[in-house]
Amino acid sequence: MDVRRHPEGVSPADQASELDLISQARAGNAEAWGELYRRYAPAIFRFCRRAMHTREDAEDATMDIFIKVRQKLSQFDSSRPFSAWLYTVAANHCWDLLRRRKGRQDLETGEIENMPLEHPDPGQLEQLIEKSTSQEVRRALDQLPSRARMALVLRYYADMSYDDVAATLGVRRAFVGVVLLRARHQLREILGGRGVVAGGAS
Amino acid sequence: MIHFDEMACLLYLEGQLEPARAREMALHVQECADCRTLLHALERESHVLSAALTEDNEAMPARILSPRSWGVPSWVWTLAFGVFAFGAYWLWVESVDPWLQQLSNAGFGGTNFVSMLLFSGAFWEGWSYLINVLQVVAVVLVGVAAVGLLRRRFRRPTAIAAMMSMMALALAVALPQRAAATEIRRDESVLVPAGEVVHSDLIATGASVRVEGTVEGDLIAFTGTLIVTGHVTGDIIAFAGQLRMEGTVDGNIRVISHTASVDGTVAKNVAFIGDTFDLTERGQLGGSLITIASDGDLDGKIHRDLLGLISRTSLDGAVGGEMWVRGKSLRIGSSGEIDGRATFRGTRKPVIAAGAKLAMPLNVETQGETQRFLVSGLRLLVNEIVGFGMALLLGVLLVTVLPGFFRATLRETGRIGVPIGIGALALVIGVFVLVLGVLLILVGVGAGVAGVLAYAPILYIAQIFVGAWLGNRILGEASNTTGSIVGRMAFGLMILHAAGIIPFLGGLIWLTVGLWGTGAVLLGFYEMSRAEEIVALPAYQDSN
Repeated sequence: MDVRRHPEGVSPADQASELDLISQARAGNAEAWGELYRRYAPAIFRFCRRAMHTREDAEDATMDIFIKVRQKLSQFDSSRPFSAWLYTVAANHCWDLLRRRKGRQDLETGEIENMPLEHPDPGQLEQLIEKSTSQEVRRALDQLPSRARMALVLRYYADMSYDDVAATLGVRRAFVGVVLLRARHQLREILGGRGVVAGGAS
Repeated sequence: MIHFDEMACLLYLEGQLEPARAREMALHVQECADCRTLLHALERESHVLSAALTEDNEAMPARILSPRSWGVPSWVWTLAFGVFAFGAYWLWVESVDPWLQQLSNAGFGGTNFVSMLLFSGAFWEGWSYLINVLQVVAVVLVGVAAVGLLRRRFRRPTAIAAMMSMMALALAVALPQRAAATEIRRDESVLVPAGEVVHSDLIATGASVRVEGTVEGDLIAFTGTLIVTGHVTGDIIAFAGQLRMEGTVDGNIRVISHTASVDGTVAKNVAFIGDTFDLTERGQLGGSLITIASDGDLDGKIHRDLLGLISRTSLDGAVGGEMWVRGKSLRIGSSGEIDGRATFRGTRKPVIAAGAKLAMPLNVETQGETQRFLVSGLRLLVNEIVGFGMALLLGVLLVTVLPGFFRATLRETGRIGVPIGIGALALVIGVFVLVLGVLLILVGVGAGVAGVLAYAPILYIAQIFVGAWLGNRILGEASNTTGSIVGRMAFGLMILHAAGIIPFLGGLIWLTVGLWGTGAVLLGFYEMSRAEEIVALPAYQDSN
């Protein structure tokens, strides 16, 4: 588990103190809340930065998410990991924003989703992956349609389960794999179009 | 050999394949190099994606690291409130007031709207109208706020900025024309001798102020004795020990003083608060007289209405319009004349001399007529029901649109003593500002009314929180659902409105509710601005 994304996963002692923090913050302790904020704001901001189109949107979204989290803190079920809950709130918020702002324009229709995907050439795929830098991948991600990007961020940044991804994006659970795979294909096409080996074609 | 497709490989990697198929896949991969390569490639791709997504390639914005305030900062609220009050005032002074004045100059309506609002309004009768107006204003305000918040198309700061700049623009366009030149004179005694012309507004302070010449503008005086024998083309606004006006005023006189006598001509209205008001036989008022005084000796001519709270009134002159006087005694001499409807509400029977000319018989209202009581009771009941409905509607809006603010304010309401104290303080300050605005200084009635308009929404929503608190008290703490909160609020409001009907006690209850709720709302505002502030955070350290 990546420490940067899940700060509470460090040690059991930290986890216990985190539960303390949460209950104190719930009781209205501003310092405890400040500490929680300090721990998680960077991770949530990075999440928003990946999910939203602009840096400003990501900053606004981060602020709004923490305001929401503070209001909803009493609803948090302490038997679940805090970060998972946080990401759920964040994901719902960002997805709401994206959906409202963009309308339907770049959310793929079910028809396209059902089109068969071409089977990739494993060798070429490996080559493509080897040659792409992280920055190129991020730039390619920015060009993806909202849902594809969101799915990848939820799964590979926030480490969400398929169930949570399905709930956030409002798709059937069985469909999550398809959305993820399609997103990967689109990503490969964009990366391939940049002069690396054509990945999608076999 | 049958290969597994990419979908199956991905699901296998992510642990999403059914156990049976996963075992099948594991066996297959051992033999099939192609599928092995594909699996490996997909796994690498997952890693690359994860790495690309989590990599720290951007500096954390300062706003995130140490957010000074969250959401709308408190000063925006304050500024918006101030701008709103100023805007309301400006609107009044620039458009509503002149328009009303033109109407009145053109001869429409014998009664000045403002004096209606302030005078008959201040004494029970008019309250129902005023409250209805305020209700509409309050609902409209919250409606506007709701629309603003619900329209998420624009980001909130953008919307606020747009609103602010629009109001600022309006003010910028409007203000320069109002900024007229003003001359200020300060001396032991200020004298504008006969023949001198002051070509602007004049503000004069001193033990005595005497104007024998001409002021081409408003005369504003703070003085012990103010004597005007010359000509003032604008208004006289004064705070004085005594005022003697023997000259000519083309505008209004608004004055607080111990005594005032008008022995000359005033083209428009006179508003007076003080002890004795004397309109001599030569005295002429082109407009109305509005006054709160203990003695009123009216021997001259008032061309429009006489509206007064005067303990002892003695009328030997003429009133061209209506008369409405409340006080202890009224005497109308043989040369007295009233051309419109005349109403007197008082404790003693008025004395009317035989020669007095009254267009209509004097309408005398003494307290305690049962029929009137029944009619007004019915009206009161209808008012309460309408008021209850509107308050509830407003409450629902508040709960749904500003839940955080609602909760904070409700919490503050529970502290009972503190909000009542704060509310009383706010009321005292509010009344002070109102008096200051209405009668004392340059601004006149406009600022007073604007102040009321700005204060009214808070005063109005006060009942919502006290109602909600009461409901919680009686029915038990509401759970977090909007339904249960609204239900308790409705119950509490109903009790308040029912109790408000009780004579005398009802007034007392409303007063308490007003103070209590106002204090709670103010504390709620404060709480919101504070709660959203995080104690300045130290710079982010990647402590993990």
